[in-house]
Amino acid sequence: MDDKLKKALDFSNYVIALNNHKRILSEKYQESVVMYYNGGKFTVNQTLISFCKTLNDLHQEGTILVDDDTIPIEISNIKDFMSRALNEYVSATNTYLVEYRKLLKNRSVAGIVDL
Amino acid sequence: MTRGVVLIANNNESIDYILQACYSVNNIKKYLDLPVTLITDTPDLFKTKYVLYEKLFDNIIEHTPYGDYTVKTYRDGFFDSKPLKFKNSSRASVFDLTPYDETIVLDTDVLIFNNNFLKCFDQMHDLLIYRNTIDVCGGRSDGEFAFISDASVDFYWATCIFFRKTLENEIFFNLVQHIQENWNHYRLLYQITSSVFRNDFAFSIAIHIMNGSTSGDFVKEFPGKLLYSTDRDELVTIYDDGVLILVEKTDNVGKQTPLRTVNTNIHIMNKFSLDRAIKNDN
Repeated sequence: MDDKLKKALDFSNYVIALNNHKRILSEKYQESVVMYYNGGKFTVNQTLISFCKTLNDLHQEGTILVDDDTIPIEISNIKDFMSRALNEYVSATNTYLVEYRKLLKNRSVAGIVDL
Repeated sequence: MTRGVVLIANNNESIDYILQACYSVNNIKKYLDLPVTLITDTPDLFKTKYVLYEKLFDNIIEHTPYGDYTVKTYRDGFFDSKPLKFKNSSRASVFDLTPYDETIVLDTDVLIFNNNFLKCFDQMHDLLIYRNTIDVCGGRSDGEFAFISDASVDFYWATCIFFRKTLENEIFFNLVQHIQENWNHYRLLYQITSSVFRNDFAFSIAIHIMNGSTSGDFVKEFPGKLLYSTDRDELVTIYDDGVLILVEKTDNVGKQTPLRTVNTNIHIMNKFSLDRAIKNDN
């Protein structure tokens, strides 16, 4: 096989493996930022955290949040909710970053699958 | 409130579902730390073939699957397949059989590598099931998992189910049993071409009916999506924290690319390769 073509096909294989792993890492992250609180389901993101911070800054103790399933959930302690949401977010994004960097560091299919 | 996991394992002439359950129970204990009950039609095998494994389970319940077994084609990668007995009708009875108030039912080919299923107990909905899934290989068509037939209703996976013992859920599981007992009628009504009974189809039909024969929110979804590898892929190795799979490439029949998962639960559809990987690991 022509060397130029072989190198291109090797790279193509690498990209396929890399993209599959990236996609699964992304899904894993999406799953890990789901938090249950008072029976409600919340996907933690920057918007949710900022909203809670605003309520807290306005000295609100509690609020009602509509969860991922569009069910209103009473949050009696905003501080506690915000603290848990922040922890979930920081932990999930840190894990995502570490695993993503590790993935990108490997420049071969064998490296990606840790063989 | 008692909580636990139920596995259902009815062996056929080639696939050792009980061995899969024995393997799976270790990860369930490790990551979920929950009691595990096994439902099987051959509990006597624990006196002969699986003597050392009996103590892994908190309960072993004998249950003879409803009706005659069907036959379906089991694939082993792209190049091999075999028609085998398919004894899958115990799932509809799990509401009556489970010893727990809150139950997670898992297929024996779902490998657990994180504790996300524990979140089920922190939420308010009494019935959770997967609607959305993710193929290990991007770009492959997953149309067969969107609807139960071309002009029919949403597809739900009976692979993993969380339920509490409520009156509504009793009605739901009784309905699944009714659909199972009248499978030919319902499969024609819902335009399913294959005559093979599938739990995914029966549960999807039951959910549709419980929703008032329309789309609705009688069931809620598990957090995240279920990762699956098809029976055209091959599981090579099971590690402490994940698996290594040879995944068939998109639009490249028979050509594979490796994929390593870490701390992600995964549904392995190639049962032959799962059996091989477990035996290699032992």
